[in-house]
Amino acid sequence: MKILLAEDDFASRKFMVNYLEKYGECDITVDGEEAVDAFIMALEDGEPYDLVCLDVMMPVIDGYQALKAIRDIEKDHGIAGDDRVKIIMTTALNEERNVKKAFEMGCTVYCGKPIDVEKFQMILKKLELIK
Amino acid sequence: MAEDFNMENMLDIFLYESSQLLESLENTVLEKKDEDCFDEPAIDEIFRAMHTIKGSSAIMMYENITKVSHKLEDIFYYIRESHPDNVPHLELVEHVLDVSDFITGELDKIRDGGDPDGDESGIVEELDEFLTQIKSGIEKAGEELPPENKYEEPSQFYIAPAGGGSVKYYKASIYFREDTEMSNIRAYTSVYALKEIVDDMEYMPDDIISNENSADTIIEDGFHMLIKCKHSREEIIDAIGDTSGMERVEVNECSQKEFEMGFHEPDQEPIVIELDDKEKEKKEEKKIKTEPVPGDYVVKGKETGKGKKLAKNQSKSGPKQSYISVNIEKMDSLMDMIGELVIAEAVVLQNPDLKVPGLDLTNFQKAASQLSKITTELQDVIMSMRMMPLTNTFQKMNRIVFDVSRKLGKDIGLDVIGENTEVDKNIIEHISDPLMHLIRNSVDHGIESKEERIAAGKNPRGKITLQAKNEGGKVYVIVKDDGKGLNKHVIYEKAKKNGLVGDRPITDFTDKEIYQFITYPGFSTKEQVTEYSGRGVGMDVVVKNIQAIGGKLEIDSIEGAGSEMTLKIPLTLAIINGIVMLVGNSTFVIETNAIKEFVRFSKEMLVREPGGEEYMMLRGECYPFIRLNQRFHLAPPETAEGGDGEEGIVVVLEHEDEFICVYIDELIGEQEIVVKPIPSYIKKVQGLSGCTQLGDGSIALILDIAGLISGNERR
Amino acid sequence: MAEENLEELEALEAASDEDAQKGKYMTFQIGEECYGIAISYVNEIINNIPAIAAVPEVDDYIKGLINIRGKIVPVVDVKVRFGQEPFEYTDRTCVIVIDVKSTMVGLIVEKVAEVITVDEKEIIPPPSLNQTSNGKEKYVFGLVRVGEDVKLLLNPERLIGDEALD
Repeated sequence: MKILLAEDDFASRKFMVNYLEKYGECDITVDGEEAVDAFIMALEDGEPYDLVCLDVMMPVIDGYQALKAIRDIEKDHGIAGDDRVKIIMTTALNEERNVKKAFEMGCTVYCGKPIDVEKFQMILKKLELIK
Repeated sequence: MAEDFNMENMLDIFLYESSQLLESLENTVLEKKDEDCFDEPAIDEIFRAMHTIKGSSAIMMYENITKVSHKLEDIFYYIRESHPDNVPHLELVEHVLDVSDFITGELDKIRDGGDPDGDESGIVEELDEFLTQIKSGIEKAGEELPPENKYEEPSQFYIAPAGGGSVKYYKASIYFREDTEMSNIRAYTSVYALKEIVDDMEYMPDDIISNENSADTIIEDGFHMLIKCKHSREEIIDAIGDTSGMERVEVNECSQKEFEMGFHEPDQEPIVIELDDKEKEKKEEKKIKTEPVPGDYVVKGKETGKGKKLAKNQSKSGPKQSYISVNIEKMDSLMDMIGELVIAEAVVLQNPDLKVPGLDLTNFQKAASQLSKITTELQDVIMSMRMMPLTNTFQKMNRIVFDVSRKLGKDIGLDVIGENTEVDKNIIEHISDPLMHLIRNSVDHGIESKEERIAAGKNPRGKITLQAKNEGGKVYVIVKDDGKGLNKHVIYEKAKKNGLVGDRPITDFTDKEIYQFITYPGFSTKEQVTEYSGRGVGMDVVVKNIQAIGGKLEIDSIEGAGSEMTLKIPLTLAIINGIVMLVGNSTFVIETNAIKEFVRFSKEMLVREPGGEEYMMLRGECYPFIRLNQRFHLAPPETAEGGDGEEGIVVVLEHEDEFICVYIDELIGEQEIVVKPIPSYIKKVQGLSGCTQLGDGSIALILDIAGLISGNERR
Repeated sequence: MAEENLEELEALEAASDEDAQKGKYMTFQIGEECYGIAISYVNEIINNIPAIAAVPEVDDYIKGLINIRGKIVPVVDVKVRFGQEPFEYTDRTCVIVIDVKSTMVGLIVEKVAEVITVDEKEIIPPPSLNQTSNGKEKYVFGLVRVGEDVKLLLNPERLIGDEALD
């Protein structure tokens, strides 16, 4: 599978890359804007991502903005339902309103930091991204 | 990030909402347990509660909770849709309670930071069987089954942060030896290691990588960090590691405030929000008050050494609510502080400096009375804040009666009266266990088996009444059953065997006195200890717990018709009105409520028995008379020659319709008393219930009237 | 406050670090003897003995309660505890507040002396322990020689412990 990771914090990024690499090719961006760029680029190249992991607190544009942008782009391209990319938000913000907002905006999984790796893996299985 | 979001945390909300649903569900179920079946609102409530819990637990990925709640939802879906009339109601009640217990247990695990790992298969299987059973009825009748209750997996998930623990804040410092080279780089190694486990951190000096000179600063002042994470102190120390040159590492927990203050003076704090004009500010404010908006979390120019600063500050608070939840610890510390305030007030108002003759204190007195008014009101407010209805405690008892009576094969109903009676939160905590014990006792020992009841011509269904009422500054909690009552002869014999009565015949005791024997340690009239009462924990523990909060247990019984246990407990513990008085060199305090009257002492009123006991004649009535100095073996008061007492005052005290006269040397005055326990190092002295600090810093002992009276009787 | 006491307090403060506390004993005078108590137990020293509120019906060595900044702490007369004649409290009389397993107790002593450092190897067990002895012996766990004097090192848990538990 093809993964896009947007994470501005080096240590978190290192951890995520280490973890995700075994499941597939992992592109890395360090802010929200780059993440959106990378998403468009992959879409135009005909090799869209299967999974996008977005940090919420990021420079330039934050995870929510990136999430909205990605969903809007998909809409524009006529991608809907299960064909849409699975988006996991990873963040230390665990307030209910944050989670609700993310769900409303179309994120697939909202994952609190520090990441519960066991559950993360379960989710990937559930979403049929890994076996 | 200047807010305490603990209450709004996704996980906390899930736990809170689910617990609330379960609690109300349990109450509904217990309310309806004696009926033939659940009515529609009840079915609806249970169905909806399960539906909600199923949905949210699925999002949270707590699969066992999802499965169990889904199963129960299935059952109630079926009941709601096809109204079967073959549902064994009590069995269903038990199933619902089982599910509720299971989920509550799993929620507790999550709350404690663990994983909900309970095995649900047993319950699911039972529920399946039950569902098949009630469905079979309808199939036989040839009716059509309603459509299946379909379960759709949620498409969105939430993963709670690992560790589950709450966020903690720490201050950490590393000190390096003077000869350490490149201490800045060594310090950064620790920062790097910490980054793996922290949620956020700041450090000082903050330019350790870019500025070589920072090494000197570090050597001189140490390297300081502020850390926000979910890990323990030990884990942080571990992560910091032990780089060579480190002399000492200090890690201490600190408050959120300290963390947010950072290493900067408040006025130097970088201002992140830059708004053009006030209008925009207002608009902005409105927006962020409702919910996060994309763009709220853009990180603006993250600087090294500083925590992440967001483009906008987090909103202050949500919509106005008429209730807020307050951490109990905060309430307790407020209570303590008000206690200290009351003492401080006394220190000021009774200051010896004011006693200089010739001072004009008119204005001072005015101000002082205003101050007193405020502190009194303050106390009333905090007291009322701490008052909670007994409703929850009583509802728990409902469950106990149900469980225990079912297991013992008894049919018992519980009547609850006055559950809205309010008492201090501390007291509620203390009476829950004793009450549970009394209820169990009634179910187990009090109420007879069905056969016995029928044989005795009683209603086969036993009845326990749980009542609370407010009377004379006290709360009465009464547990009454219509069981077989206490047999005073059996109790007397047993007491005799235990050496509690000496040679005194049974006629020497009142019934109530005999019943009191069951509150002595190791006293259980039931030969066989059952699973639900006994277990070595007897009535003595109940009494001890009740006494610990200044309460009393009274037992009354009619053989064959039932018993009545009455807990008399004070409304509150912390601050009382008391009269301060001197006896010899000691200062005592008596609760104002207990004082009937003051009488100037005269020898003529005293009657002396040959045995040495003294009585006081007052308006033709005879009261027991004690001298505190003799009673407590204190130095004789100087004013009373040979302890005869001529100048003193007699205080008439009343407790539970019993009177006692106490001789004191001098009255000092009435004031508010903050009750403190006597340090446990000093063994309990009968007749004393606590101590307090007076305005001048000296210590006074608080008299326990009940103890004085019963101590006097025993002599 | 007497000057010597000031120094002791400073020594106390300096010794607040765990490591630095090792082997340090606060010594004090009762009658002719000099006793020591491990400094890790010592919370503070109160120089002018505060007003004591007597508590009735307790063992005679428990003198009552004192108020230390709002905290109510029981005080024990160590001399009486040792089964010796009580002494009259004077200006020199001090209260050493100790904390043993979270129980705060004040010890009334005739005079606080100094803080000494004792090498564990130098501690010798008391010569003979008379089991029936009611005196001070049972509270002493070791002797140590400092110059000409012998200091008796006390076991604070026993000192404040319940007679019945012995």
